[in-house]
Amino acid sequence: MLASFQHSIMSSVPISQPSSHVPPTKQRWKPVLLKVGVVLFVVWLAFVSFMWRTMKQPPERFAAVMSHMPVPAVFLAAPFETMWVRARAGELYPGDIAPAFNLQTLDKTSHIALSSLNARGPVVLVFGSYT
Amino acid sequence: MSFLAVYILEAHPSDVWQMQSNLKDNVVFASPKNEEERAFVAGACVRKLGIKFPAVLDGFDNTVEKAYTGWPDRLYLIDQNGKVAYKSRPGPFGFEPDELKAALKGIAPGNTQMQKAEVRLQK
Repeated sequence: MLASFQHSIMSSVPISQPSSHVPPTKQRWKPVLLKVGVVLFVVWLAFVSFMWRTMKQPPERFAAVMSHMPVPAVFLAAPFETMWVRARAGELYPGDIAPAFNLQTLDKTSHIALSSLNARGPVVLVFGSYT
Repeated sequence: MSFLAVYILEAHPSDVWQMQSNLKDNVVFASPKNEEERAFVAGACVRKLGIKFPAVLDGFDNTVEKAYTGWPDRLYLIDQNGKVAYKSRPGPFGFEPDELKAALKGIAPGNTQMQKAEVRLQK
């Protein structure tokens, strides 16, 4: 009797199924964080790629683009110095023959040829501008 | 040994990419529109900075700057054989006079390494 009673009780009382598994809060956020991370990484890659292409442009073009950028942030957001050194490497390397030139002096009274200076010994060239 | 300044296109002209540091130092010049204007700014530079060695102007087509990728600033050492002995990294990061100094010592007559290299080449 008790067995049948137990049986009837057991069959009438729905056995609560384990509730659908609710992951803890941390695990629920993991996929979201992963997606956000991937998106941020892709955006960063696109920014670095843009900066690289800009650095390879002629100086006037590069300067025009940089004038619209938040300069300190750009230096932090991208490996700026590494990229800049590579972008501005040029085609001239130690051991190469220095390209000849013959340029006018500032007072425009004469010209100076690299070869004439080099005939007297080593020459230090300082490239730059006032600004 | 000679030093030569090669004045090239402006790094931070006021009409393109003005820098706060230049404003503070009152170095405000728009992009030169011709060789005369470039010569004017170059003259101001040489006077204000007290540059004592000769300076020349790159042509307005920037041919020499392109050949040497000198922009915005760069140091080169050309040895007695007309070859590039030292090429700095591009400015502003690479403008390091101490590196140039070391390169100058490297090609100086009496430098032991250079002498050994010369002996090897002669053999």
